[in-house]
Amino acid sequence: MASVDIVNVKKSFDRAEILRGVSIHIQDGEFVVLVGPSGCGKSTLLRMIAGLETISSGEIKIGDQLVNDFTPRDRDVAMVFQNYALYPHMTVAGNMAFSLKLRGIDRAEIDRRVARAAEILGLTALLDRRPRHLSGGQRQRVAMGRAIVRDPRVFLFDEPLSNLDAKLRVAMRSEIKDLHQRLKTTMVYVTHDQIEAMTMADRIVVMRDGRVEQTGEPLELYDTPANLFVAGFIGSPAMNFLKGTIEVADRTGFVADTGTFVPLPPSPTHGELAGRPLVLGIRPEHLRIADGAAGGFEVGVKIVEPTGSETQVTATANGADLIALFRERHTVRQGDQLHLTPTHFHLFDGQNGARLASVSI
Amino acid sequence: MHKPSFIEKNIRILFPLPAFLFIALLMIFPIVYTLALSFTSWNLTSGAPMRFIGLRNYGQILLEPRFVDAIVRTLTFTICAVVIEAVLGTAIAIILNRAFIGKSLAKLLLLLPLVSTPVAVGIIFNLFYDPTIGLANFALSSLGLPQGLWVSSAATVIPSLIIVDVWQWTPMITLIVLAGLAGLSEEPFEAARVDGATQWQVLRYVTIPMVMPVILTAVILRLIDALKTFDIIFAMTGGGPGYASETLNIMGFKYSFEYFRMGQASVILIALFFLVLLCSMGIMKLRSSSEN
Amino acid sequence: MNKNNRLQNALFYVVVVFISLVVLFPFLWMLSSSFKTQTDIIAWPPKLIFSPTLQNYAKVFGEQDFLKYFINSTVVGGLAVGLSLVIGLPAAYAISRFTQRRLALFILLARLMPGISFLMPWYIIASRLDLMDTYVALVLSHMLIALPIVVWIMSAYFNSIPVELEESAMVDGATRQYAFWAIILPMSGPGIITAVTLSFIFSWNNFMFSQVLSMEKTKTLPIAVYNFVSYAEVDWGGVMAAAVAIMAPAIILTMIFQKFVVKGLTMGAVKG
Repeated sequence: MASVDIVNVKKSFDRAEILRGVSIHIQDGEFVVLVGPSGCGKSTLLRMIAGLETISSGEIKIGDQLVNDFTPRDRDVAMVFQNYALYPHMTVAGNMAFSLKLRGIDRAEIDRRVARAAEILGLTALLDRRPRHLSGGQRQRVAMGRAIVRDPRVFLFDEPLSNLDAKLRVAMRSEIKDLHQRLKTTMVYVTHDQIEAMTMADRIVVMRDGRVEQTGEPLELYDTPANLFVAGFIGSPAMNFLKGTIEVADRTGFVADTGTFVPLPPSPTHGELAGRPLVLGIRPEHLRIADGAAGGFEVGVKIVEPTGSETQVTATANGADLIALFRERHTVRQGDQLHLTPTHFHLFDGQNGARLASVSI
Repeated sequence: MHKPSFIEKNIRILFPLPAFLFIALLMIFPIVYTLALSFTSWNLTSGAPMRFIGLRNYGQILLEPRFVDAIVRTLTFTICAVVIEAVLGTAIAIILNRAFIGKSLAKLLLLLPLVSTPVAVGIIFNLFYDPTIGLANFALSSLGLPQGLWVSSAATVIPSLIIVDVWQWTPMITLIVLAGLAGLSEEPFEAARVDGATQWQVLRYVTIPMVMPVILTAVILRLIDALKTFDIIFAMTGGGPGYASETLNIMGFKYSFEYFRMGQASVILIALFFLVLLCSMGIMKLRSSSEN
Repeated sequence: MNKNNRLQNALFYVVVVFISLVVLFPFLWMLSSSFKTQTDIIAWPPKLIFSPTLQNYAKVFGEQDFLKYFINSTVVGGLAVGLSLVIGLPAAYAISRFTQRRLALFILLARLMPGISFLMPWYIIASRLDLMDTYVALVLSHMLIALPIVVWIMSAYFNSIPVELEESAMVDGATRQYAFWAIILPMSGPGIITAVTLSFIFSWNNFMFSQVLSMEKTKTLPIAVYNFVSYAEVDWGGVMAAAVAIMAPAIILTMIFQKFVVKGLTMGAVKG
């Protein structure tokens, strides 16, 4: 077990910059998820920790060892790949034993460790099978077993669940989390799926274009996103955004560029922000139907999608689409006019996207 | 311990090195040697010392009608054979591109000419073409047609050789195009049929354009080999009668290993080399354009 | 409609049978002639029904030293293919994994160049070094046939193996070369079979290299068959028996490894 320190790491291929200076401190035993859209550099960063990519500049430390120039085999990390990378000509047991054999561990100890890992993962009955005779979920488990037997300093996961179907993915999610709680090994996990990140991580690192946008615990990212990108990326359905300005003159509220007026309760911050170009961000679950016609802003209902536990309504306000999510059952229909009001909202700088204020009503 | 080993650090060089050295020493070096010889007066039989004579070999050979004839003959043989093979091979592939009983057997049969020893194939066809006992003339006369001299006559030797090449190599085009057809997705064909295209229109506007890159690549692969055809011609006619079937490759062989006029042989080989190189560059161009 | 379909179907099979006969005809003629006496062969009109004889085969394997040439061909082909694998597999791996395209083109040159353009210097050098009519010269020359085939087929095959397999092995503690040896090679069986079959057949069939570099001692089968024609003026039965003997191994190999051979032959032109 060990901490991982990434200090101002950069990576470029030819002229393209993949990572533009990334620093992350991962504590011993922590489960950190790197998340971001494809091409943000998260997989490259993970592969650099594994030693599969060279580091253009900066430092990577595992424990207190600088590992920049270490070969992958000398880093004592284990990695689970997106396509599992199981060795097709070896049995399940052979796949798990391979790394131990390479390390010259004696036969009895190998058998013991393989048996233990197989037991943890429920693979005991499958030890003599070959990978092509396994289902997707079983292969996934073998890939994890291969990592577990090694008892490495750090586990690396590169989108390990993206080849599984939705149901299995949810099940494996909790299995991996459970595994982390049992083994207490440092884990770095890459995904593009923000739900995976939210549900599994101790701490999330949101990346975009080779930079870290924000680092924090899942709910911290959800409650206080650093900027528009993180606000839009974390949370599903995504946060609604309206461009416009704050007005504090005869009425207090937010005037969207489309003309929609969102009445807001008075607050000292409004004064400072008045007149600046802003973006108003409201999560779908932070919209409710206003008590009176005067209390909110008017929208026209376009689509109603009830799932039973909640109702998702897509509505339009002067041409701008909004999504609202209600826990209670409203009988709204397409074409209805509604008045919505936020229970919680964020204000972002219209120019650089930084979050300026978050207000609960 | 934490230092990568020598092999690991230099694996990009070490892995390909033996193969690289092999080709460089045993092929590139000899080719350069051949090139150098082309500027000398070397004749293995005369025993005279090697002398630098500049471009004289080139001048001599270029003025030799036998050389010009050989170039024309090489091109005639190659182009005729490959065009026939391409058309016939593609047509057969399109016919066979459906499920039918014995398809696997038919594909095996198609493989047989490709893997047959060319020298032996040449000999079999010599028996077939034999003017007095050959089956070819028997077939002609039973159809009431005049008998031919086939490879024994200067007028018919090239077409007769083309027939052999077509027999042996048409199946290669067929197999390649069949593989290409098998790799196409079903949807465009279904879409065309839903759009109301007739079988012929599907073939003309969907199938052929879609396998065209594959056909072209097969054609160019074939072109390169056809230009270098040696075994069959050497075994069947040795370039004769007279020089009537002497291609550049045969001529180069004779100048090298029968007359031992190394300098002039080199010029012939360089000419062939450039013909092949032109076609090879065609491959590269074609592949890159079909990839986009 | 139904009748039309059946007619079309019948027509299709007629065409298929016709094509098959055209392809097969020279083989059938060769085979039948190899069992004919000289009198039957030169009979006019050609005889379809005759009493078969084994005398041609007896002659080829008895009087002619065919078994020796057979062994020569096998040894030369086997060694050339084996050595080509030894140097070609790592090169193919490098081409596939480190995208060394220029190396691929370089090795492909051997496939593109006319053999004679390097055979003449070979002849001169082999004479000087006393390597004429030795296995060394012959095997090396046949490697120029086998190596490009091995590299061409195997680099395409390695491309189809996900690179994560070696990466995983490397994270697991293997060196790259060990991952190549313990992970990649053991799962490359189908590719290696394709490469070996194809390169062996092409080496087996090669005429020109042996014609120039070998004499009595290392003579291979194609030369033997060719000489047989020149010496035994129109002993057609013997020649046909010899032709059967030389073609049989390549054809048997092809039958056993049909799928692999088709794949190898079409791989260059069809991607995937």
